[in-house]
Amino acid sequence: MADGILDLARAASEAALATEGVYSLGTGRYAEAATYEGSEKVSGVVVTSDEVEIHIVASYPLTRPIPELAQLIRERVAPEAGSRRTSVVVEDIEVAHEDL
Amino acid sequence: MRIFNRIVVVLLLVGLIVLGAYTVVYSFELFGRRLSDLSAVLNGFASGTESFVGDVENGSLPILTIALLVAIALLGLVLLLMELKPPRPRRVRMQSGTYVTPDVVRDEVSSAAEEIPSVLGSSTKVQAKRRPGAKVNLQADVRRGEDTNTIKSDLRERVQQHLARTGVPLSKLKLKLVEADPRQTKTRVQ
Repeated sequence: MADGILDLARAASEAALATEGVYSLGTGRYAEAATYEGSEKVSGVVVTSDEVEIHIVASYPLTRPIPELAQLIRERVAPEAGSRRTSVVVEDIEVAHEDL
Repeated sequence: MRIFNRIVVVLLLVGLIVLGAYTVVYSFELFGRRLSDLSAVLNGFASGTESFVGDVENGSLPILTIALLVAIALLGLVLLLMELKPPRPRRVRMQSGTYVTPDVVRDEVSSAAEEIPSVLGSSTKVQAKRRPGAKVNLQADVRRGEDTNTIKSDLRERVQQHLARTGVPLSKLKLKLVEADPRQTKTRVQ
């Protein structure tokens, strides 16, 4: 399990980005989605004392329904999040450009 | 800021402006107004209030005044209820701990609707609900003379299937078909 909130945010961010079907991390629609500590920040993940909120942009076409994708991310983040609740916010769906 | 707060602040600011204007007028004795006249104005106001309260106590208020007071009380009640009502969520809840932004639902609904050849264009409004699911208002442009009932049922089926595939729960789908000139719609037809 990650020690500080920034470490947790980084670990959650990496876990989310490694999930198939995640195009990128979102930046927040109504307010910036990021975790700050000192002079550093991790965008796309908001870590509070009782919750880890992960903002993602899903790849189009969707490889699986959004709830399944969210569940997959939650499972990957769970070991890092510990007792914190994990929420997934899908901010957008973006066409994935494959390398030619 | 919500409507109730806005009304309170507007009334407060209007009151302050009026009070400020009176203070300036009476302090600088403009338009023939003097501070000494103010006591007469205040006395008039006090006697008016006194007679109104007297009428209320005697139960002899005119019907129009009673109607006005009831209307004010009802308006106050409605505004209070609106203020107490929790705000609508900004994100569409799917299941425990999973949310999508209304923009995602809007894009998905539009792409599903525009897959139907008879639909020349569409505009979608999405409202997040407190319970899981989104309320969707879809307006689709079709050619004049098309069979709107068939298109409507196709459209409903297509949108419901598409959202079910992506996993977005739909709480209500409202469809409206508008007959449009194909030259002016999103999908232009020569």
